[in-house]
Amino acid sequence: MEGAFQIIFNVLCYTSIMILVVLGLGVIASMMGIFNFAHGEFILLGGYTLYLFHIWGLPLWFGIVAAPFVVAIVGVVLERTIIRRFYAAPIVAMLGTYAIGVIIRETVRGLIDGLYLRVPEPLVGMFVVGDISVSKWRVAAILMTILVVTISYLLLNRTSFGLRVRASLENPELARASGISTSRIYAATFGFGAALAGLAGAIITPLMMFNADMGLRFVIQGFLAVMLGGIGTFEGSAVGGALIGAMASGLPYMVNPILADVLVFVVAIVLVKLKPSGLLSKWRA
Amino acid sequence: MNDHTKYSLTDKQFSRRILLQNAMWMSGAIATGIGSWVFPAKWSHAAGPIKVGIATDLTGPISFGGIPCSRVAKLAIDQINADGGILGRPLEMYLEDTASNEQIAVGVVRKLVQRNRVDVVLGGITSSMRNAIKDVIVGRGRTLYIYPQLYEGRECTPNLFCTGPTPAQQCDDLIPWLIANGGKRFALPSANYVWPHVLNEYARKSIEDNGGEVVLEEYYPLDQVEYGATVKRIMDEKIDVVFNTVIPPGLGPFIKQLYEAGFLKRGGRLSCVYYDENALNFNAAEEMEGLASCLDYFQNIDDPFSAKLQAAYQKIHAHKDKVLFTAGSGSTGMYRGVKLWEAAVKEAGAVDRDSVAAALDHAKIANGPGGPSNIVPGTYHCQMNMYIAVAKAGKYEIIDKADQVHPKECG
Repeated sequence: MEGAFQIIFNVLCYTSIMILVVLGLGVIASMMGIFNFAHGEFILLGGYTLYLFHIWGLPLWFGIVAAPFVVAIVGVVLERTIIRRFYAAPIVAMLGTYAIGVIIRETVRGLIDGLYLRVPEPLVGMFVVGDISVSKWRVAAILMTILVVTISYLLLNRTSFGLRVRASLENPELARASGISTSRIYAATFGFGAALAGLAGAIITPLMMFNADMGLRFVIQGFLAVMLGGIGTFEGSAVGGALIGAMASGLPYMVNPILADVLVFVVAIVLVKLKPSGLLSKWRA
Repeated sequence: MNDHTKYSLTDKQFSRRILLQNAMWMSGAIATGIGSWVFPAKWSHAAGPIKVGIATDLTGPISFGGIPCSRVAKLAIDQINADGGILGRPLEMYLEDTASNEQIAVGVVRKLVQRNRVDVVLGGITSSMRNAIKDVIVGRGRTLYIYPQLYEGRECTPNLFCTGPTPAQQCDDLIPWLIANGGKRFALPSANYVWPHVLNEYARKSIEDNGGEVVLEEYYPLDQVEYGATVKRIMDEKIDVVFNTVIPPGLGPFIKQLYEAGFLKRGGRLSCVYYDENALNFNAAEEMEGLASCLDYFQNIDDPFSAKLQAAYQKIHAHKDKVLFTAGSGSTGMYRGVKLWEAAVKEAGAVDRDSVAAALDHAKIANGPGGPSNIVPGTYHCQMNMYIAVAKAGKYEIIDKADQVHPKECG
């Protein structure tokens, strides 16, 4: 019983991390058709914000709140100055965002002297119930993921902003003819995706080692998750992230960890092959 | 899509002028070299300066080790120059950034050997880096190569000398201590690359010879960051000692999850042989309480020369950043390497490779980080003092010192 609970909790925790990481990537890929290779570095910037709050001695909770705003501003500035020039050429956009990612990553590496650093949890300690004990911050990470997914879903599906975002995706010409500034919508959407990455970075940093390559690790699995879930919907990315996260953390209980790492990709690729447009796709193709 | 961006992009894509501008910029960068520095000789000599090539990772993931390595090399070379150089000739240091990337490294090392014609190359941190550049240096380059980092051993290439600790040096003293101060049931969780595989082979033999038992030996992808399954196995199997070779970035989450599962509370002992002062930042102090490491140097060992060296390093660099002079980053091996090579050149009275290699084979230094050291003839490796340190409340406490431990490599 206790062992089973620990397994479920660990899998749930890592699944939440994966969902958080994938959401921003999914929003930008689905709503704008841009595969943002700098996503990992947006996560890194979120973590860096929290790290700065830590070394400046400010309350870490403020860092968690500030991270999405800081990264959103970076995202909007990048979109206005650089990314918007790439919309006509998705391949160039991939390379361009990759280059931006390298610049951010190496800059942060210089700022932290290339070291691996620790950022403490805003909530330290364990919840203990009988034989079962779980880390408070892991519980908080799971709850915050649920909250973020819910709010993002409502924002994109139930508000007029969400309607305009979806309109700009479905038919940009008609959206512009209807008086929607698609250019501003793109900037806002990119900023929103960046904010999600920033928040993810701030939440996961206390559970990881803070270092310049922190975000890199998640990007490949992140893209796989977006493809698996289906490009074009917000829910697709969340489901894709959940599947990848559950497989990556659950499989090592059953098979050798190296094999598990490969299996995640094999299973995901087979699923993508069976459902090429993703599990929950509404992409216009 | 934004229409005017689309057109302007198309115009630009076919602009020959932009292509030419970019090509010119690129060729300029390639010609001058981005990651190269020369620290010229302080005085002239009829025979010219002796050229020392340092090739290490100043950028990229391994830069935490490459940066202090390059600084310690510079420190040692400056000291030698301040004392009048070698054979009356000044040393000139050629520094190249291998950028944590083997393809880049082969190019820059070739430049050191062929264009700059250095007399010796020191550097490389990872084994994959050493393997990538060693032939360029000792094979086709016909130059002497000194590799400074602790590693898995078995490098027995003539004209290639290793000045960091070997598995025997890191295990012979530590494993019996762990069995006495931890218990007999060992787990060897490891990153899946050459160093852990080969080190574990030695550690397993040592554990079994000393009456212990390896209950679990597992390898993980280098970037794995979730260790729930491993931690569960360690707890279920009632492991006494976790002899860890998982590396960052997986290391932090692994130690944290182990702590959260109650491994330390249950009396479990952690051990990791690359843990130096940098590693004290990896986890909260309580998560790594009691962790035992075994290295050739710690900052608080009782050795006046080492303390002076550390102070000299800190005087130059401590106000700039947090990059430390430690054993785990290859910096101690770098200092030892430069000084052993100096001793060899002095004895040989020449800088040609064969004479220096012959003298280096039995070179000795009375002082170095951690104490004296010498190359054991015929082994290409160093004998050196080894220290066991245990983490207590976020600091290391030196528990034991073993004098002049044999590397047990190459015959």
